[in-house]
Formats: sequence, structure tokens, C-alpha cells
Amino acid sequence: MKLVIGAAIAAAMLAGAATPPTPHVFLDPETIGKAPTTSWATFNGDYTGTRYSTLTQIEPGNLNRLAQQWVFKTAVGAQRGAPTPVIKCTPLLVEGVLYITIPDHVWALDARTGTEIWHYDWVDHGGHLVGQRGVGIWKSKVFFLAPDNWLIALDANTGKELWKKNYADARKQYFSTSAPLIVKNHVIVGVGGDAMDMPGFLDSYDPVSGERQWRWWSTPRKGDPALKTWPNETASDHGGGMTWMPGTYDPELNLLYWPTGNTNPVFAGRGRPGANLWTEAIVALDADTGKLKWYFQVSPHDTHDFDNTTAPILFEAMVDGQPRKLLAQAARNGFFVTLDRVTGKYLVVKPYVPLDYYSGLSRNGEPIPIPDKDPSVGGSINIVNATNWQAPAFNPHTGLLYVNAVEGKAIYYLTDDSEQPSGYGGTGVGIGPEQRVLHAIDPLTGKAAWVHTYPNLENAPVTLGPSILTTATNLLITGDDQRNLIIYSADKGEVLWHHELGASESGGVISYELDGRQFIVFGAGDTLYAWALPQ
Amino acid sequence: MGQRGFAVLLAGLLAAVAVAGQEPVTGDQAAPQRQTSQQSMPSDRAQTTRTFLGLGAEPDKAAAARGEPLFQQNCAFCHGPKARGATGPGLITSDEVLGDDHGEHLVAFLKKGRPQKGMPGFPAMSDAQLKDIAEFMHLQVELVANRGGYHVLNIVVGSAPRGKAYVAAHCMSCHSAETFAHLGSKFRSPEQLQKGWIWPSRSQNPALVITATVTTSDGATVTGRVTQVSDFRITLVNEAGEAHAVELGNGGKDKGTTVEMKDPLSAHQEMIMTLSNRDMHDVTAYLETLK
Repeated sequence: MKLVIGAAIAAAMLAGAATPPTPHVFLDPETIGKAPTTSWATFNGDYTGTRYSTLTQIEPGNLNRLAQQWVFKTAVGAQRGAPTPVIKCTPLLVEGVLYITIPDHVWALDARTGTEIWHYDWVDHGGHLVGQRGVGIWKSKVFFLAPDNWLIALDANTGKELWKKNYADARKQYFSTSAPLIVKNHVIVGVGGDAMDMPGFLDSYDPVSGERQWRWWSTPRKGDPALKTWPNETASDHGGGMTWMPGTYDPELNLLYWPTGNTNPVFAGRGRPGANLWTEAIVALDADTGKLKWYFQVSPHDTHDFDNTTAPILFEAMVDGQPRKLLAQAARNGFFVTLDRVTGKYLVVKPYVPLDYYSGLSRNGEPIPIPDKDPSVGGSINIVNATNWQAPAFNPHTGLLYVNAVEGKAIYYLTDDSEQPSGYGGTGVGIGPEQRVLHAIDPLTGKAAWVHTYPNLENAPVTLGPSILTTATNLLITGDDQRNLIIYSADKGEVLWHHELGASESGGVISYELDGRQFIVFGAGDTLYAWALPQ
Repeated sequence: MGQRGFAVLLAGLLAAVAVAGQEPVTGDQAAPQRQTSQQSMPSDRAQTTRTFLGLGAEPDKAAAARGEPLFQQNCAFCHGPKARGATGPGLITSDEVLGDDHGEHLVAFLKKGRPQKGMPGFPAMSDAQLKDIAEFMHLQVELVANRGGYHVLNIVVGSAPRGKAYVAAHCMSCHSAETFAHLGSKFRSPEQLQKGWIWPSRSQNPALVITATVTTSDGATVTGRVTQVSDFRITLVNEAGEAHAVELGNGGKDKGTTVEMKDPLSAHQEMIMTLSNRDMHDVTAYLETLK
């Protein structure tokens, strides 16, 4: 591989240019959402969240020839609170240019060589530098979210700042890590931050002017019937429900599907009796107005930071002889959920990891938590988050949804037993082994077709990848937490190929065709890797 | 400590053996760089978390202590004893409070008050007093927002006699009375005791390490302490202290190599999966009496 990189550098030097020429990127908003082949235009590649590539050049029979083509190291040094910045973005690829991020930084790279075209460096004034999921692209503009809640529009070809807009107060512990989702002429922006009991929201901005088009609050305001799921308006106004992961979108229904995060105060539920809508839910919002069409609350009255932020994946299937528009989510509370995405009514709500904190399902299919499993002063033993932000995937050929999960327990302590808790109000301490397991789940039954258990003695933090990509050639590409990139057969879960990297795969895996060759690109630690078959 | 060895024969597929570090269990948005919270001092943890969260200036605790009675006397009726709100608004996310570091804005604000909203001014109080009140409010923000400074309360809430009965019924097939002698005095806090009896530290007890015997297709075997295992490789250290790495082929498909692992804590792993909160509290309460 050194030869390949060396050749690329030599070519660049011969051309007498340290950086490639200015590109001419233009992404027609009408094409966003098409199956990703020659581009990867959104966080999930398209609007479905399936992370399914229709490309067929790389297939089980030629994996032994798969070879690294180039690498790009971010190498910015330590960041505040993050000694080793890690690539947690999903790269975007448009017209031969790759866009990647870490907190405060955006790079445009030549996808043929991995050479930097431009680099944008933001100086933040607050916010958490815990991760950055990537950019959104509309025409020749790149949209980036800074940790201190600035929506920044950059020229996709030069990296020059066009405009910026602040949408939340970092002093109130709002912070941003998400990738904006571009839908028509909307830049959809979510926000994070649960240290100070603030309400979540989802915003839509005009891509040209930066004017806000609408805001949807994650908790109800005065006059809304959903307020009856809160003791009072004040609790709702401080109820959390952050929108820190990108959602999905159905163009036919013009509905955004967004996962909402944990309720506040986080572990101490005493001051907020009730279901606490619309935190810990999947919500369907009109993309043009932000109006709520339906919701399904995956963790009513959450007290375990279950933070319902995994992707709601959109797919079609025949149910009882009828074609249905469906949505499935492997939730962080350990339930696998399949809904009708037109109505929000549930088809499947079933644990995919061993659970002991719920007593059954409500009439609407919502898990009913057991109060004894709430965090307590003496400690309450319960599951750890069953998964996290890392992307799951769905393969229409196998009909299976894939998710990297974690099975383990923690003791949840209440650290604030007052009648008026605030902030986290508690803490969770892992106890005993944690086991990473890759699940291939049939979303029509909630049952696993296969699982793969990753052996390990020292599990990496559950918040580090790996994400998943699946392909039309029956491949499932992901990794373990011991630096191995692993390719499985999607139908049976057989390990077909693996390669030890410099770090564990830490961001999204994408695939695209460029100059007639299929590439697989992903971040691992501080390095972006590009793999393909040799020319 | 006596223990029951669990042999797990793993041919081809390596089954579940994982030992978690002490990882925060909350989400990505919640987790600072994985802190070794058990080793670090609480004050370091608070400082690390403060940096990670990008919180404002660190409150002056001495000034806050002076400001507390002043706040309780003058402010708590409307804003609550911890500034979390009462008849008046909570101040934890107040723009006035968050826009101030050490009283440079709040002193003047408190002097004037906000009469149009019914908040009186405090012109009779000295600048020093108002600054102390400001620091008290900053400390209340800190106590909410900096979870690195949280500490558990008195977790000994169970029934010691019931805990004793649980131990007699569930533990003595592996353990002897010697295991439990003075156990309560071996941990620096009840929280550490609770954690320590449920999942004893392998690093502090060599008898608890996971061992394995690896047999390769040519019949050679190596036995020792497992240092790591993946789908593709197992590394272990034998009795002579020599490190071995054995490649396991593609996802354990290399049927010629077998791995037999023993985890002395298997019984504890099973217990964790079914342990009830009441039993956990009771056993901790009992063991806490064994000083």
C-alpha cells in the first residue's frame, strides 16, 4: 500500500501542486435521497437510513484482493476534553470530493488520492467536543454544526465561510455534534446537551439565507394536550429530549422521522411523574412545517438515560399480503421496534437483548417500566444502553436489520434524592462483563436470524463505533473493538474477511463508485481509510 | 477465596468472555473521555468533567459558603433553597447567572433587582455580600451541571440479617467463612464494597484471572493467563511468563485450533444477570457489618 500512496504523492509533486485544483461540486437537491452509487450525499447515504449499497463490484469472491488505496490522517492534536480526537463522522462523497469532520474541523479531500483540498478550522466558545457526525450538502454549499451550536454554511469548493447562525446557548449546556439533513430547501438541524435540564428542539433553516423556517420543541408548550404527561409546564420546559442524531425522511409522505433523546432530569424522575412526551420517542414531523404528525414513545418516563437516538430505518415489506411502509429501530433501551410509518402504529416491540426492567407493554405497545428498577440511593441494577449512535443497517435482499449491541449491567445510583432534582441527579456504574454482539434481526418478527458475539476481555467504550454498511453482494461491513474491520455474509453472518487497522472503525462506513471502481471508505481513530480492488 | 472453575470448551466459535472496564454507562453525549473514575480522585474527576463540558468559571466555594445564609435569607423564598425555583423562577439556567463569572455583572444586577418583574433590589447589601451570593448561585449551577462532582449518598439501605441469609443460601457452595471475614473493612466505601463483592477486581486478585488452553491443529498446546482474545487471535502468558499469540484464523473457522477458557468469575457473572435490588442492598448491608 505504501507504493500506492507513494505513487499518489509522486504524481502530486510532478504536477507541481501541493493541493489539487479547486473542484466544481454541485449537488442537485432533487437527487439527494436516491440510492447512493456515485455519491454518498447524506449522513445515511440516502433518506432511508438503510446504509445499503447497490454496488456489486466488491463481492465475496474477490475480498481476498481488497486493498488499501490511501489514508488521510486528521492530526490536529488534542482538543479540549478529548486528548485524541476520533473520526466519528460519516464521510460524504460528491463529484469526487470527500467531506469529513471532527469537532471544530471540516476537510474536503480528493477522493482519488486522499489529498486535502481545503480545511476549515472553527474556534469554539464552549460546547462538548465529544464527536461530530459529518456535514450536509445542498448545491455548492456544505453545512457544518459547531460544538457551540453554530450552523455554518461553507462554499463546498473552497471552504470559505458564507454565513453562520447561532441556534442554541452553549452556556446552558446545549452542544451540537449532528450532521444536518438536507430536505428540499430545508437544512434540518438537531441539538444535544442534557447537563442543565433544557428542552430539545429540531430546527429548519433556509440554505441560502440562513433564516429559520420552523422549530419543533421536543416537549409540549402551553396549551398542548401532551402537557398532561408532565406534572407542570416548568417540568416540560426543562424536560430534555435532544435531537442529536440525524433522522430519516419519506419524500412521498413528506415526513421526517426523528429519534429524541433522554428525558431531564436524567436519572432522577421524581420531579417529573408521567410519560414525559415527546422525549425518548420516534416522532414524525411535516418537513415543511415541523408539525407533529404522530409519535411513538419507546421509553416512557425514562430514568436510565436510554436516549432513544438510534436511526429509525425506513423500508417496505409485505405484511399479511399487503405492501406496507414501515420503520424499524433497534432502540437503546433494548427493544426492537417496528412501526407503520404512515400511522405510527406498532407491529413489533420486542427485546433484542436480555431485559428485566419492564413489566409488559401498554395498549399502544410502549414498554411499561418497573418502578423498582429506577435509580435509587442504594443502587438499582439494570442493563447498560443496548446500543448507541453508531449506525445500524438494513439489507432488502436478506430482509434483515443489523445492529451492533452491548449486553451488560450497571448499578444506577440516585445522587439527588430531593423533591426537586436537577441535571443528571444520578449516575450509572458498569458492573461485571459487557458483551458486544452483532444482531441480524427480522424486523417483521423482532427475532434474530443470526448473532455474532465478539470475544474480548477489555471492551472498548460502547460509544465508539463500529457502524455498519451492507451491500447488494450480500456483504455486511463493520468491525470489532479490537481494530479489526470485518466483512460478514449478510444472510448468515459468516466471517468472510478481516483486516487489522491502526484503530477500531469509529465512524460510518460508506461505499461509492468513482472512475468505474467501487470504494469502501471509513474513519478509524484519527485516520480515514479508502479500500478498493486493485486497478 | 475459593472459587468454582467453569470450563468452557470453545471449538471454532469463541463464546462470550468479556470483562468490562469501569465504563460510564451513559450515552455518547454524556461520556467524557473514559475516565478511570475508580482510580482518580473525585476532585480531579470534577475538574476533568468541567473541562469536558465547557462549564464556566469555577465557583469560589469559600465565598459561596459565606453567601449561603444570605441567599437563604433574601432569595430562597422566591427562588428555592438551591436556586431551583419556588414561587419565582429557577436560576440554574438563568441568563443573568450564566452570563456572570464572579459577580462582575450580578453584583450590579442584584443591587437594582428587576422591579418590573417583582424582584426587589438589594441596595443595602455590600458588594462583597452580593458577590458571595453570586458565588453561591454559581455553586448551585455547578452542583447540577458538573456530574463529575456528584457522589453517591448513603447506599447502606438493606437489611443485614436478610443479607446474611442470602449469603448462607447462595455463596457457601463456593466460598468459606474465611472469604467474608472483615470484608467490610477491605473497601474504602460501601459503594466500593457493593461493587467489589458483586464483581471482584481481577487486577487485585491473581486467582481470578481468566486462563485458557489453546490447542493448535498440530497438537501443540499452550496454557496460561489470557491477556486478550478476539475472533482472530488469542494472547496469553504462560507460567514461565512467556507471552504467546495464537492466530485463530478467519473468524474461528480454522477448526484445527481449539480454545478452552476458564473464568473463575463465571458464577458471579450469572449472579449479576439475576441479582435483585433488594438482595444486592441486603448483602451489602450485611457485609458492611463485617469489619
